[in-house]
Amino acid sequence: MKATLTSRERYLTVLRGGQPDFLPRIPILMQFAAEYIGSNYGAFASDHRVLVEANLRCAADFGLDQVSTISDPYRETSGFGAPIEYQRDSGPVCLEPPLEGNPDLVRLPRPDPMRAPRMRDRIDAVRLYRERAGDTYSVLGWIEGPAAEAADLRGVSNFLMDLLDDPDYARDLMARCVATGIDFARAQVAAGADTIGIGDAVASQVSPQVYEALILPQERALVSALRAMGVFVRLHICGNITHLLPGIATLGVDILDVDHLVSLAVARRAVGPAVTLAGNVDPVSCVMRGPAEAVRAAITACAAAAGTRFMVNAGCEIPAATPPAHLRALCAPLAPPAVGCDGL
Amino acid sequence: MTTLELLAQAVAAGKAKDAKALTQRALDEAIAPTEIVDRTLVPAMTEVGDKFKRSEIFVPEMLIAARAMKEAMELIDPRLAAAGITPKYTAVIGTVQGDLHDIGKNLVATMWRGANFRVIDLGANVPPAKFVAAIQEHRPHLAGLSALLTTTMPAMAETVRAIRANAGVPVKIMIGGAPITQQFCDEIGADGFAPDAGSAVDKARALVESVP
Repeated sequence: MKATLTSRERYLTVLRGGQPDFLPRIPILMQFAAEYIGSNYGAFASDHRVLVEANLRCAADFGLDQVSTISDPYRETSGFGAPIEYQRDSGPVCLEPPLEGNPDLVRLPRPDPMRAPRMRDRIDAVRLYRERAGDTYSVLGWIEGPAAEAADLRGVSNFLMDLLDDPDYARDLMARCVATGIDFARAQVAAGADTIGIGDAVASQVSPQVYEALILPQERALVSALRAMGVFVRLHICGNITHLLPGIATLGVDILDVDHLVSLAVARRAVGPAVTLAGNVDPVSCVMRGPAEAVRAAITACAAAAGTRFMVNAGCEIPAATPPAHLRALCAPLAPPAVGCDGL
Repeated sequence: MTTLELLAQAVAAGKAKDAKALTQRALDEAIAPTEIVDRTLVPAMTEVGDKFKRSEIFVPEMLIAARAMKEAMELIDPRLAAAGITPKYTAVIGTVQGDLHDIGKNLVATMWRGANFRVIDLGANVPPAKFVAAIQEHRPHLAGLSALLTTTMPAMAETVRAIRANAGVPVKIMIGGAPITQQFCDEIGADGFAPDAGSAVDKARALVESVP
């Protein structure tokens, strides 16, 4: 299949409802990318030069259309004052969530993204992508969603119980996280990100009632602020979000990542034709374990189920142990569904 | 309503203070600790697990119920120990290497304790060698492996391999976590899989009782 568009043009074409030459490929790479260039996850998470080199090499070798700044959940948490410890071959560890022992919000600073080292490192990654690759690729900035960041600050169990024990506190905490998320996103947009991803994984663990009463309003405020900046918004909530889809459909995101536990057809019915779906090949049982032919068959089936406005992706991060041939099978050019195919 | 009925309601609703007060009241009424556990706390947590399985409640509701159960057990455990009553089965549990998430593991540990298992909790990010060492030390009937991240599922497979090869104990291995499926369980040679913390009790009982 011959490319007639650059990666970024291909990506923008789908978001604007047009027909690309083939479907954009936007898998999430972290440890895989670090090790692909002979580095390690610790270096990838702590040095934007490693992160950028790893993602650009993978983009060139596997045919990705978006390069990303995702590394781990603790960029903002570090900015809020949490001590972070890097691991060579796994993600960074937050040694002490700042509000775990004492929930008092007065103690919580408002991080300056340009001064907090781990936040600044991500901003520098965005800038370096633009310096090295210009407009070739879409550049994905990244922030934590309100529930995910609140859970990082309080400890996951504490925060989930806060949602029931003290909803006003949970709301106030998430509002602080949204404010910082907006600050962080604005700096990444200024540095050249055309899309901001929101990771709000913990939201998948709550009831639709709790989600819609407490988390959804905070996500909505965040998405509105991002859209006002003129960037595209990609939402990633790991796990089964089927029960949250009616609420998510009201958020107005441009791209919804769909994990492999969710039916793409059900997601499409919930969010309608205007949202781009990305997913959802099982990252371990299929992408990592293969064989390549099965990966190819799976992503082809995903495209058919999702209909138009679809991008190639696994359900979640590509595992580090994935054979490169399997990622090539996932990302080999795939013809878009015919115009009007709504996947319903 | 009797004290035990009120206690069951308090646990199921996650009202920790009420659960503690009602447990104390039950003990003051000279109700046997084993009766409080077997006739009240275990059925209450079973009901919570069943509601979770049916997606009538989610993780936050499970967590506050588990917290209420823990409050009750803190009053009861010393009495059981003083009477020389020990759990019939032992389990070790942990989240596999590379995965720092512990909610699912904690919930299952609580449910197993509520079902009268002695539970040795190894925590999160547990290397295969630590599982093996704990199994050799405690000689449990059951080992529980948890993973939330799809990316740490390979570590789960590696842990199963290490236990089979090195533990030297005929322990049953049970796995669980958001991305885990029965297919994956079969692929890596674990003995059982539970899709949620509620099912984890039934599956654990079935596995340990299947051993002659």
